[in-house]
Amino acid sequence: MSEPVLRTENLTRRFGGLVAVDNLNISLPGGRLHAIIGPNGAGKTTFFNLISGLLKSDGGRVFFQGRDITGLKPHQISRLGIKRTLQIKSVFPQLSVAENLWITGQAGQRFLHPFRAASSDRAAWEKVERTLEQIGLAGLAKRAAGTLSYGDVALLEIGMALISEPKLLLLDEPTCGMSPAETERAVQKIRELARTIDIVIIEHDMEVVFGIASDITVMAQGSILASGTPKQIADDERVREAYLGRPEDEDYVEEAVHA
Amino acid sequence: MSAATAINRVMMAAFAAFLVSVPWSVPALINSFWVSVIAEILIWSLFAASVNLLFGCVGLLSFGQALYFGFGMYGVAIGISDLGLSFWPAFGLGIVASMAMALVTGIFAVRLTWHYFAIITVVFSLIFYFLALSNKWLTGGDDGINFTLPPTFTFGGTKWALTDPTFQYFFILTTVALCFWLMHRLIGSPLGKAFLAIRDNDVRASLIGLNVYLLRLIAFVLAGFLAGVAGALFAFFGRYASASYMFYHVSGEAVVWAIVGGAGTLFGPIVGTSIFIIVREVVSSHWEHHGLIVGIVAILVVMFAPKGVVGLWRQWLTSLSERTVTPADAAPVDIKLRTEP
Repeated sequence: MSEPVLRTENLTRRFGGLVAVDNLNISLPGGRLHAIIGPNGAGKTTFFNLISGLLKSDGGRVFFQGRDITGLKPHQISRLGIKRTLQIKSVFPQLSVAENLWITGQAGQRFLHPFRAASSDRAAWEKVERTLEQIGLAGLAKRAAGTLSYGDVALLEIGMALISEPKLLLLDEPTCGMSPAETERAVQKIRELARTIDIVIIEHDMEVVFGIASDITVMAQGSILASGTPKQIADDERVREAYLGRPEDEDYVEEAVHA
Repeated sequence: MSAATAINRVMMAAFAAFLVSVPWSVPALINSFWVSVIAEILIWSLFAASVNLLFGCVGLLSFGQALYFGFGMYGVAIGISDLGLSFWPAFGLGIVASMAMALVTGIFAVRLTWHYFAIITVVFSLIFYFLALSNKWLTGGDDGINFTLPPTFTFGGTKWALTDPTFQYFFILTTVALCFWLMHRLIGSPLGKAFLAIRDNDVRASLIGLNVYLLRLIAFVLAGFLAGVAGALFAFFGRYASASYMFYHVSGEAVVWAIVGGAGTLFGPIVGTSIFIIVREVVSSHWEHHGLIVGIVAILVVMFAPKGVVGLWRQWLTSLSERTVTPADAAPVDIKLRTEP
């Protein structure tokens, strides 16, 4: 497949005077796990918001598998097979874990029956049960999603991504706030998923990024600073200086000194 | 079957049996005036259910449902007195008029959420309230339209009409029960689950592929249907229609009933409406400030029982069944969820 799974042309988004995404030209070939890294405010999440339709771009175009999806509504983009998770874990808190999965599996349908019992759809519930097994939440199926621990919510999010059978999955800091053990479990799942699905991941945890990504794009101030294989990125002098050479903690110390 | 389900089933059966026995038991125990109070409670419960469908199931707080109630009333009244329609076509006209109005206003209103949505629904209802007041030739303004009831069913020589109080009561009970049964089916259906998902998290709902705008519009029209049926029933019940029922005060009362009863629950609107109308009927003859009680109860419920009376009841049932196993941990979660923006 020569057509890249995701491509943008001069994609731009401003917030007042701030250019969050600046003439971004990116082309992501299929079959690889892409990671986008960069400091806070680099425009990574804005980039995801532009692709998934939550934000309108101020200029430029987005192509998904060669199809122009610029300006489509979030649900239309979702129905094309682009699914995403949000940086702040986001499920349906008052629905049960199983219902979260169920509605996610059904949401793409054009017709939602108004009066037939939702529980009567045997095939859909079997799919929910399979997904529950896959993510290891079968024991919590009936719990309200709002009462889950943070790590379990993250797993549920991955389950929701799974059951919606995406073609392209956008993960926004999937391991943010997780314990090391939870991170390991999540990374394992993402690796498994990447075998069949194209994934773009935004991640701050460098260990995670260099562990799973086949390609890395470094963003800074709304533009691409560098892109390449993990090795190329690790060896890139500019990237090293800007992002990898210094632990984040020192940034804070320095900011505190100057404040 | 757990103890909680068993208790609920028994309560339901007792409640249903009571409702069916009202035309005989209530005159015997209290007096026949209370039969019409209960009929009125049933109608207003349906109106509160319209608020509940929007707020409890889709997360849209409407302060303008009286508009669709009013259209239901006027559809019936104008249909009978001006157009000379018989019973069922007039009923149908009332329902269609309110649903059409809900569709037209909903197209604009459901683009907004939260306070913006609440404000635009109030604005729409005020516009039509003043239009109804000023167009006396059509609506009778403040005086309203009085009409003579046509018969409901005619078989040969025999006629059934709402002029017979027992027939009227059962007509109202059947219609309201049917609407609540439809609500029950709706809540458990795929469409209902999609509504709940939107209520919980509309951004996420759009990302999983739900057309949030269209689904909210559908909910708005369905709520218009419930309000319209309630308004049409109330017109039949009072034999008249008046612009005063389109005032936002009426909408606000339904919001209080739905929230105190328990937003998002099937029976919340019935419970809330019953409490307030019974308090009003009992207290208002002795004390003119019965509104004060309404206010205090509403504040207490919002503060201490965010899921309303039905929520308290469920919590109590849960603690009852969990007392032997593990302590209930549902309460703090409920409170946290309700404060979400």
